[in-house]
Amino acid sequence: MTPTALHGPFIDRLLSGRGIWPAVPAIIVLAIVAVIPFMVLLSLGFSDVVSSRGVIISQEFSLRHLKAALSDSLYWTTFRRSIGLAVTTTLLCMLLGFPVAYLYLIGGKWTRRIILVLTIAPILTSGIVRTYAWIVILGGRGVINTTLMQLGLIDQPVRIINTHWAVLIGMVQIHLPIMILPLIAVMTRHDTRLDEASANLGATRLGTLRHVILPLATPGLGTGAALVFTLSYTTFVVPQLLGGGNYLNAATMVFEQVVYALEWNKGAVTAVILMATCLIGLIGIAALTNLATRWTRAGRS
Amino acid sequence: MPGSASVTTGGDSASPIVFIREIIKRYGANTVLDRCSLAAHEGEILTLLGPSGCGKTTLLRCIAGFIQPDGGAISIDGADMAQMPVNRRPVGVVFQSYALFPHLTVAGNVGYGLRMRGVAKSDIAQRVKAALASVSLSGLDDRYPAQLSGGQQQRVAIARVVVLQPRVLLLDEPFNALDAKLRGSMQVELRHLIKQLGLTALFVTHDQEEAMTLSDRIAVMRAGRIEQLDRPDAIYDRPTTAYVADFIGASNTWYSRVDGGLVRLPDGQTVSTTHSGDVKVMVRPHNLVLHRASSERAGSWSGKLVFRRHVGAMMEYEVQLPDGQAIRAVGLHGDQPVEPSPSESVTLAVRNPAACMVFPAA
Ligand SMILES: Nc1ncnc2c1ncn2[C@@H]1O[C@H](COP(=O)(O)OP(=O)(O)O)[C@@H](O)[C@H]1O
Ligand SMILES: [Mg+2]
Repeated sequence: MTPTALHGPFIDRLLSGRGIWPAVPAIIVLAIVAVIPFMVLLSLGFSDVVSSRGVIISQEFSLRHLKAALSDSLYWTTFRRSIGLAVTTTLLCMLLGFPVAYLYLIGGKWTRRIILVLTIAPILTSGIVRTYAWIVILGGRGVINTTLMQLGLIDQPVRIINTHWAVLIGMVQIHLPIMILPLIAVMTRHDTRLDEASANLGATRLGTLRHVILPLATPGLGTGAALVFTLSYTTFVVPQLLGGGNYLNAATMVFEQVVYALEWNKGAVTAVILMATCLIGLIGIAALTNLATRWTRAGRS
Repeated sequence: MPGSASVTTGGDSASPIVFIREIIKRYGANTVLDRCSLAAHEGEILTLLGPSGCGKTTLLRCIAGFIQPDGGAISIDGADMAQMPVNRRPVGVVFQSYALFPHLTVAGNVGYGLRMRGVAKSDIAQRVKAALASVSLSGLDDRYPAQLSGGQQQRVAIARVVVLQPRVLLLDEPFNALDAKLRGSMQVELRHLIKQLGLTALFVTHDQEEAMTLSDRIAVMRAGRIEQLDRPDAIYDRPTTAYVADFIGASNTWYSRVDGGLVRLPDGQTVSTTHSGDVKVMVRPHNLVLHRASSERAGSWSGKLVFRRHVGAMMEYEVQLPDGQAIRAVGLHGDQPVEPSPSESVTLAVRNPAACMVFPAA
């Protein structure tokens, strides 16, 4: 008797690796861990619950919490700050990540290895640990201030930690590897004979970078941007730790509403707005990537 | 030291357009190009022919400037290339699998070099059109490389470089990516195209038939050096070394001794030679005649016919000698009054002893 004869047709199809069947277990897991909590979130944010001694008496659909949120100017400034931070982080990661990927492309064996290790090692360490490391570096008695004072450049410690800049530095450092990895994936597949052909046809190094390497790396830049935007828009670790508790972005707002204020309905609404705007941001990035792809291909020089 | 040998000026039709002097290229302990010298003349198609790994691609890459040689000099049109950056060398490279830009259309690919040179947009469009017409690809401007057949891709790759009017075309096995059926016709077509455009071409292949079809001259390469450089028929008829004789065309080989300036052939005839001592004798299949043993011209060199086949108008025979050696002979179909049949005894004779090739035994 063959092993297959032991399973039913469902398992057979699952293992045969055709169609969507192999994805079924993952879909089930996702449904449990993502969709159900999301439904709970929606029901919390968009309903009025009347409860007595922890027992729900009545629950009905309501836009009360959403309306309250949208008329609250704190929401608007917080979300504006969050979007600004995420967009700036994404742009800086692109700006810093692409040269690293280019170096990876033109570098030799050892350059490539070093870049890979430097990119992957941070991902393997916890974001919280890395953020604490920034506190050590940026703090009032931190590495930067101590060095500057010893050099006699300043008399008093400069306030870096707990500022917008500290948050931004931390955000870029934490998310840079996420930008670099998809770019390295693109560069690994890059056919260097295209660069030779380009040079042979008269292009300078910059011309080849602009007209061959960049257009072919644009999808990788798009993927990296989507990942970095999503993560940096929804993170609360970095703003919380490097912003010193007074830097409020959308994610820290959810955290405070739910954990400190115990206002679950408010937190749920904030979370839903966060998800919706994130989705809009992702759609925007996809559209921009398409545009950029077309723009980098078009004969503009 | 560099460039001292190329003092001839342009205009002189005999002066080489590409001049390569004692090029050396090493990868670690591996010497890939070993004092390789070569001169290509205006308007000729010169083929670098040799087995895989003998350094053909490496030589082309040195000329294009993708890699720097460890010694020697390359000059094109009298100008030393040592300090010349890749993007300013007057050569156009057709890559082994074309290396077309996948993100650009056919027109984008062909116009790429003009764009990099800052040619005006309207001029680009016009010249791209003309280049595409010259390789019979008109109308495919807006296709992407992935939407083209292998033969069309090859022609885009050629149009992409000829539109820039390079002094020299470098082609690295451009037929490798095509299926066998297409190759024959494409080879003839490519030769016509290069001649029509009046270009000088250095063409790399490991396929001797391809080299015979395309070339004005053939440079047979062996382990990083040019073994012989001559016209295709001369390479075939008068190879200077056993390596070349072996590499180009089929031949039958046996060993003999020189006696008084003469080598005795197995059929009793003799060939004169300047070599002495032990020699290697090579005879092309078409220089052997085969007779049925029963015919009145029976000689002393006989064997058994083991295989025979028609190849077009030709007959190909394989004869096994008593010592086990297999001899190949080729004749015109219909030459024999009665075709010998397999397993029949036959006798062999050399048609033209002077065309036998004699080399010192290794
Ligand atoms: N980048 C390289 N590094 C090390 N060895 C190389 C490199 N390029 C080519 N070689 C070696 O040089 C030799 C000649 O290669 P190549 O010029 O490609 O031969 P061909 O084109 O005649 O087949 C081969 O033995 C190859 O392994
Ligand atoms: Mg090669």
